[in-house]
Amino acid sequence: MKLQSITLTNFRQFKGVQTFDLSSDTIKPVSLLFGANGAGKTTFLNAFTWALYGLMSDDVEQQDRMVTDSVWRELPMGDTAEVAVELRFDHEGRDYRLLRSATLRKESDQQGTPSPEVHLWMTKPDGSSEIVGAPQETIYSILPRGVSRFFFFNGERIENLVKKGAYAEVQKDIKVLLDLEQVERAIAHLPKVDRKLTAELKKHGGDKASEIQDAIDTLTERQTGAREELKLLEGDLATLVEERDSVTDLLRQHAEAAPIQAERDAVTKELDEARTARDAAIAERAHLVATRGFLAFTDTLGDATQAMADNLYQKGALPAPLKREFVDQLLEDGKCICGTELAEHSEPWEHVKDWRQRAGLQAVETAWQQLSGQIAPLSGARDELREQLAALMKRIGAERDRVARLEERKSELDGKLKNSPMEVVADLETKRMDLDNRIGIKNQKKGAVESELGTIAKDIEAKTKERSRAAVTDELAAKARSRSDLVQSVKRALEEILAIREEDMRKRLDAELKAVFSSITHQNHVPTLSEGFELTLHKNVGGVELPVPKSTGENQILSLSFVAAVSKLAREIRKERRAEGDAAVDAGTYPIVMDAAFGSLDQDYQEAVSRALAKMAPQLVVLVSKSQGLGKVVTELTPYVSHLGVIETHTTAPGSVADDIELEGMAYPYIRSAESDHSELKVIK
Amino acid sequence: MTEGRTEKQVLEELSNEERALLKRVLEVERAKLHLSAYDATDDLLDAVREILP
Repeated sequence: MKLQSITLTNFRQFKGVQTFDLSSDTIKPVSLLFGANGAGKTTFLNAFTWALYGLMSDDVEQQDRMVTDSVWRELPMGDTAEVAVELRFDHEGRDYRLLRSATLRKESDQQGTPSPEVHLWMTKPDGSSEIVGAPQETIYSILPRGVSRFFFFNGERIENLVKKGAYAEVQKDIKVLLDLEQVERAIAHLPKVDRKLTAELKKHGGDKASEIQDAIDTLTERQTGAREELKLLEGDLATLVEERDSVTDLLRQHAEAAPIQAERDAVTKELDEARTARDAAIAERAHLVATRGFLAFTDTLGDATQAMADNLYQKGALPAPLKREFVDQLLEDGKCICGTELAEHSEPWEHVKDWRQRAGLQAVETAWQQLSGQIAPLSGARDELREQLAALMKRIGAERDRVARLEERKSELDGKLKNSPMEVVADLETKRMDLDNRIGIKNQKKGAVESELGTIAKDIEAKTKERSRAAVTDELAAKARSRSDLVQSVKRALEEILAIREEDMRKRLDAELKAVFSSITHQNHVPTLSEGFELTLHKNVGGVELPVPKSTGENQILSLSFVAAVSKLAREIRKERRAEGDAAVDAGTYPIVMDAAFGSLDQDYQEAVSRALAKMAPQLVVLVSKSQGLGKVVTELTPYVSHLGVIETHTTAPGSVADDIELEGMAYPYIRSAESDHSELKVIK
Repeated sequence: MTEGRTEKQVLEELSNEERALLKRVLEVERAKLHLSAYDATDDLLDAVREILP
């Protein structure tokens, strides 16, 4: 989606019809608009979301006064006024004109609630145009509403994007953006297709096939139920974990509890590491015993084998005096070495054949030679095994001691908080422990359901195999069975693709987020996007990773980095070779429209953010005030600006309020006295 | 199951019919992504019958 222009008609402060060109290219992707406080920057931002979804953000006050106040005031009773926003944009090779408008009849000085209508026209690359039948749904498919908050936002409130509790929602939105939803929908729809196919199989397939299909149907129902239960459990778990984390955060912030909690954080982290190290050592020992443990029992075996062989040598049985291969050759040639003819079943033939039983096999002798060579090193290998086992036992012992020591220390700290003389601290700790217990129980249940799902999946697979072996004589039933098999394997492939895409997406988002964040911040803080899509910030203190509380500024930078990462990934992912086939040239391209992008950031951060901003989106519309935008921001952004504008404030305020803004060496009106309060979009370049 | 595997690998392991159906299913779903009330069953069933007539 790339914006071409926006036209506002009597939209809040924007009186009459006003258009701003937004078309841009990759070299100059930025449109920069200046406006004084109250000029309408937030309104301008909200004009986009109102056009797209009919919604404005909560920080827009008096949302029922949509028509410009002065226009409404001058409107005779009984007449009508129009309020509208028209947005032109292109998306995946098609041009769109979106118009959301409402007509209001004046019945009193108070404006009524508008009932806007939305229209969408589309022009294809061949020039043909059509009215889109489901305009709102089409908009949702181009840019889902939830996702839009990554692209249309207020810089000062952007930290809400990464606040606690937003993860589940963010994860859901990103799935849509990064092209996972159609895979999820396909996985949900395919079982319905399968049910129709298997109904045919049951009808025509005879008793056996029908019975197997009944069993598969029952298993599938159980699978659906278990999946729903798992989803519920995961939701509950997320809520509980979030609650526990916020309680822990309170403990971190509480003056009395903070030092204890900080130590507990460090001890918990070390305890996790110690447990991992202990388990790794135990696993290593198990592996050693499984692969080389037999060596422990070869002590007498080697000696006994050697003695047996020596005995055979003494008897002359080794090396074999006669090879069976040699006797076989004589029998095949039909002639003995003494020259006697060996006709089959003749006396000489039988005589030579007897020798065949007594002769030794070359292969046996070779094997023995190889084996005898290995008897001596066996003893060395046994010693080596003993040493390795001893070293591992020592390691396991040391890690067990470390775990025990840390568990004691942690229990002490738990106790200190639980029995704190400060009632608030004790209460918080009790609550945290209770939540911890509940999380443990939910985790157990989750494990049980996951294991049940594993068993069901195996059973379904087995039954499906049984079904393909079952005799089906009816042609219709055979066809239904092949089709059902096809649907099932496609569903399995889609499930795997979904898992691959989800994990790939998180890893890449995490890497991109780290890269963008480190290019902006001067703090040694590292963001991480966990498997649960939780965004955390850590710092390394003497080799220990500790969570750091995020300041408002840091949250803003974190959010901007996240938006930048999402924006980049959306473009990358949609262009890659994938199951859907080739993507459109501009697939995954979305503009970023931001109000007060630099909020309350320090000068050096403003500079770094501006630099990152210019590179972060294929199209960028930035709304700033003089104080936010002049200086570092303008210097950094100017080389990338294709459209520069001012939202001129016209005010009825008494006195000399006039103010100018100096841009590229010229002064332009910023605030002017006027007969009505309104704003005008002025194009500078 | 998915450890270290790629989407390309999954696709390569499918038979021609399976690959054709997978692509068709995603095309159908993608085209109707904006219609929440859309029931894909019949369209997908047609796709299956086209691939295995």
